[in-house]
This record gives sequence, C-alpha cells and structure tokens, in this order.
Amino acid sequence: MKGVLLSGGTGSRLRPITHTGPKQLVPVANKPVLEYAVEDLKEAGITEIGVILGHKGREEIQDLLGDGSDYGVEITYIVQGNPLGLAHAAGCAKDFVGDDDFVMYLGDNILKEGVVDLVESFESGDFGAGIALQEVENPQQFGIADVDDQGNVTQLIEKPDEPPTNLALIGMYVFSPAVFDAIEQLEPSWRGELEITDAIQSLLEDGYAIDSHVVEGWWKDTGKPEDILEANQLVLEDKSLKKRGTVSDDATVDGRIELAESATIEDGAVVRGPVSIADGAVIKSGTYVGPYTSVGPNSTLEGVHIENSVVIGESSINTSGRIVDSLLGKGANIGSADDFLPEGRRLVVGENSQLKL
Amino acid sequence: MHIITHACTQCGTVVSANELESNRVMKCPGLGCENVLRFTDLDQADQEHFLDNKASYEL
Ligand SMILES: [Zn+2]
Repeated sequence: MKGVLLSGGTGSRLRPITHTGPKQLVPVANKPVLEYAVEDLKEAGITEIGVILGHKGREEIQDLLGDGSDYGVEITYIVQGNPLGLAHAAGCAKDFVGDDDFVMYLGDNILKEGVVDLVESFESGDFGAGIALQEVENPQQFGIADVDDQGNVTQLIEKPDEPPTNLALIGMYVFSPAVFDAIEQLEPSWRGELEITDAIQSLLEDGYAIDSHVVEGWWKDTGKPEDILEANQLVLEDKSLKKRGTVSDDATVDGRIELAESATIEDGAVVRGPVSIADGAVIKSGTYVGPYTSVGPNSTLEGVHIENSVVIGESSINTSGRIVDSLLGKGANIGSADDFLPEGRRLVVGENSQLKL
Repeated sequence: MHIITHACTQCGTVVSANELESNRVMKCPGLGCENVLRFTDLDQADQEHFLDNKASYEL
C-alpha cells in the first residue's frame, strides 16, 4: 500500500493567509495540517508517499517534508501543475504507484481517527476502491453514496435532491491500480476537471466492488478560516498536551496546556486550556489566553484577552483589546491605539483580509 | 483522459506533461536534483498526443 497526498490547490478561500504560502501548511495546534496527513499514513503502515504539488507553495511544502526521513517515510514529489481535478492528480501518480494499492488523502483535510480503519476495511475484501463516508445533516449539499447491507457502494450521486442516504464522501479514498484505466477513459466534467467520483462510478459500472467505511470521529476540510479555528478546537480537545516551558510563580495556568520548551508564561498572565503555545512565545503580564487558542512560535502577547484563535507566529500583540474567533497570519502585529489622536483604529491590512471591528 | 507524466531518471520526481510543455526546459523540481527535464524527454507519441489535445490539459 502506498500513499498519495494531495497538496495542490490555490487556497483562495483562505486568503490572505495563503498569499504567502500553501493552505496545507496552515498550522492547527501549532502543526501544519499536512503533517497530520503524513502521520496518519505512517500510522496505517504506509511509508512510501507521493506528494502531489500544484503551482502554489511547492518549495515551502518540499522544505517542510523534505525526503520524508524526519517522519520515517519516503517521499516522492509529483508535480501536477495545472489543477485538472482529483482524478488527474491520481493519474499523475500512476508511475509512482505502479501495481500497488494506494490511499489518496487530501492534504488540507484532518480527521480524528486517521486512515487505519479505512485501509483495513479495504484490505478485508477484493475491492476496486474504498471510500470514506460520514453522516451529514444536509446530504443535498454533498456527494452521497448509497450502500448495501455489507457496506458495498451501489451508487454515487452528486448533491441529490432526494438523497437515498445521508452518507457523504469525505475526500479519503483507497484505490486499486484498476482506477488508472478508469481515469484514462474519463472526460472532463462541466467544470473542466477530471472528477474522482466519475472514476469510482466507472469502476462500479465495470463490475468492481467498492468498499465503504463510515468515519465516526470528526473530520474537517480546512479550506476556510472558520474551519481552521474549528480544527484547532477539535485537535486541542483530543491531543495530549505537554507543559515543558517556563511558567512563572505568579502566573495562573488552568486546564491542559501545551507549552513548548522555550515558551514562557510570565507573572500576572492567565492561561486557561486547552491551549498550545509554541517555542519562543512569551505570554506577558496582564494577558489572558483562553481555551482553544494556539499561539505560534516567537509571538509576544501583552495585555490582550484572546480566545478561540490561532496566531500563526512571529506576531507581537500588545493591546488591551479582546480578540476572539480570529486567525492571525505570520508576522501580523497588533498594537494599541489608546494614546493616539484623533481617536480611531490604525490599520495596514493586506489584500483579501477580513476584519470585524 | 490520457495522463502523461515523466519521471526524472536521477531522482524519480514525476512531472506532468503540461508542466514540461509550459516550461519546455526545466531544472528537475526534485530536492537537490540538478537534472534538466525537457518536454522532448517524453515518448514521441505522448508528445504528439499532448500537443494535439493541448486544450483539454489546460483549465
Ligand atoms: Zn530529478
């Protein structure tokens, strides 16, 4: 079994964060989303991973993952170039995959349970493909699978008016090499892409059994800022957090805190977990860091009340304001306008930023 | 769709035909690899197929 990890895409829904890097490297609980995927594949015993690169952020992704040795895996890069759809991305991996089966994992997705069960379920029978499904409340808005009593997929329907089930496809797949013949026969859809659901449908029509695995734990596609915040909550909720940094005697710390070795919580600061604070971060007097916040490396917080937020890193936040439900890009600085005249906020804001004042 | 790729003979990095064609000549994107990749490294038949169907390989 090999792994194919998709790391292309424009990340347009995560601007301005993605003006300077690929969406797969946005950190959740101070770890890039893409690393969770590599770790999930490794956990499922998959150590040969093809990483599909698009146009954007190639060097950053290669800088992070390298040859994979830091993660105990072996990485081959596959440059897709034009984003012609998931089935095109899979097709570009044909020479890498060879005669093996492979897991296809969308690099901006994150799921609680990993892919071990998906792989085991696929390997328990003779299947052309296996798909991960999750129960959703609004099946009309998803690609939906109909399955029989044994969990074999009988039909795939895109955004059905009358959904036969509430089981949505969630962007994790296992394929046999038979998928490459199916992809070779595909034509681009109305949106000009080779659709992976069309490839699976074609396998079904050719008589292949398609396995399904219903994912019980949470799953997040981190395409939008609110999804990053939600993924950050979910990971902080589940992760075991270690306090290795320095907490001053007169700091108040409750709940579960991840504090990196060179991070400091100074006297007069209040931190209430679950929270993750990365290396080089300093939480100064008068600061409140509330639940579900991740403070990235080399950030300094002073006087601010912040909660349910992600500070990516290299930020200085020195204000008495309250910040909630926010995503701050690398190097974003926030100061106080209290002593300025005329009264008012002073902003230097990048393209596609979103502020609520 | 016939998907055409080329694997670098030195490091195994795979590059799709659309990427090779748009650059014509490129340094291999593999980590630390100095190999030079060309659209003309592809099989003659694949080159012709790509050029005959170029529109379908663009978004
Ligand atoms: Zn190379």
